[in-house]
Amino acid sequence: MTRVFGAAPGLVRASLTVERGDLLLVRGPNGAGKSTLLRVIGTALAPTYGSGAVLGFDLALERDEIRRRTELLGHRTRLYEDLTAAENLRFACAMHGVALSAVPAALARVGLADVAKERVSGFSQGMRQRVALARALLRRPELLLLDEPYAGLDAEAKEIVDAAIAEALADGRTVVLATHDLQRGGTAARTIVMDQGRIVG
Amino acid sequence: MTLVGQSVAIAAKDLRIEVRGRYALGSVLPFAGTLLVAFGLSLGPGRTLLAETAPGLLWLAVLFASVLSSRRAYEHEGEDGALEGLLLAPIDKAAVFIGKGIAIAVQLLALELAIVLLVSGLFDLSLAVAPLTLVAALFLGTIGLAAVGSLFGVLAEAPRAREAVLPLLVLPLATPVLIAGVRATALATAGRAGEAGSWLGLLLAFDLVFVSVGTLVFGFLLEE
Repeated sequence: MTRVFGAAPGLVRASLTVERGDLLLVRGPNGAGKSTLLRVIGTALAPTYGSGAVLGFDLALERDEIRRRTELLGHRTRLYEDLTAAENLRFACAMHGVALSAVPAALARVGLADVAKERVSGFSQGMRQRVALARALLRRPELLLLDEPYAGLDAEAKEIVDAAIAEALADGRTVVLATHDLQRGGTAARTIVMDQGRIVG
Repeated sequence: MTLVGQSVAIAAKDLRIEVRGRYALGSVLPFAGTLLVAFGLSLGPGRTLLAETAPGLLWLAVLFASVLSSRRAYEHEGEDGALEGLLLAPIDKAAVFIGKGIAIAVQLLALELAIVLLVSGLFDLSLAVAPLTLVAALFLGTIGLAAVGSLFGVLAEAPRAREAVLPLLVLPLATPVLIAGVRATALATAGRAGEAGSWLGLLLAFDLVFVSVGTLVFGFLLEE
């Protein structure tokens, strides 16, 4: 698949197969195309050329089927500043058809139970990342796409991310992890290296 | 969750954000008030001229308020990539159009109440002559403006969009609402409500067209 942004290529003829239940580690310098790859897999971006299937569903024709089964945790938290942490998660529940009863447990898991009723606008970047992580934990998606999930997190929160990845893999779910953190992703079944939009290794 | 449930959830979320941010109260209403006072001063002290232009000024204030409210409805979706969350949610994307349209309409109706009272006080607009016709014109016009704003507001959040995109799209398209709203309001306040039927019909037709078109094409706009 190729994804072009104006004249600039974000992803160049990337061809990739990931086995179900595996952890795929994506490495590469800034601007290498890691985020674009994950966003194309997660249907946030459509490929300019090429085709592909995610969890057996066509990327172009069955996007909603892929979205039902996938969670993309990216650089941006996708939170509403004027809503509380709990309200943000409740809204995500409504959009994904998840029971509202899942919210307290998800917030407790990321250590934010005490600030559930506080507005996100007063949160630090690390806390916002935790809320976004809690939102990802509301569901048990078949495919987890994690784009730099450790960025801005303290050691405790990084452990929570690691635990979520381990739990997903233990359940037989698939994880694609893009990270610069060399200490993470040690259990990956496979690692790919990207540079200038291409998979080079 | 059904399309109705998804739409209501999105509308409730937008209204909660609006109530907390007080954007309509703090920015849109003062803007509309300033617009009315400025026009009033520029037209001079003649009571007849002020009364004749009052329906037009009322609808101009409503139109500009709708553009600002529509812009705001999508602004908070762009703050930290929240719009992408709506894109990736496995919902009928028409729910975003309908939900945001409901939220814009509720805000506009609340603003219109204040704007109508302001116009009535400043320009001596007669509200009690045919109140039902006046309410019908405002209600139908609001639905149309909210539909256009909800449909095109998403384009203002596109990566290369500029601030002027929304008014450039909305103002020409909303011209039929402006014309029909002004005529129906003028007739209602002049005691000729019986002649306003065709203008109310035009507003209703506009609503049906834009609500239908928006429901059908919004998903495509959001994906693109």
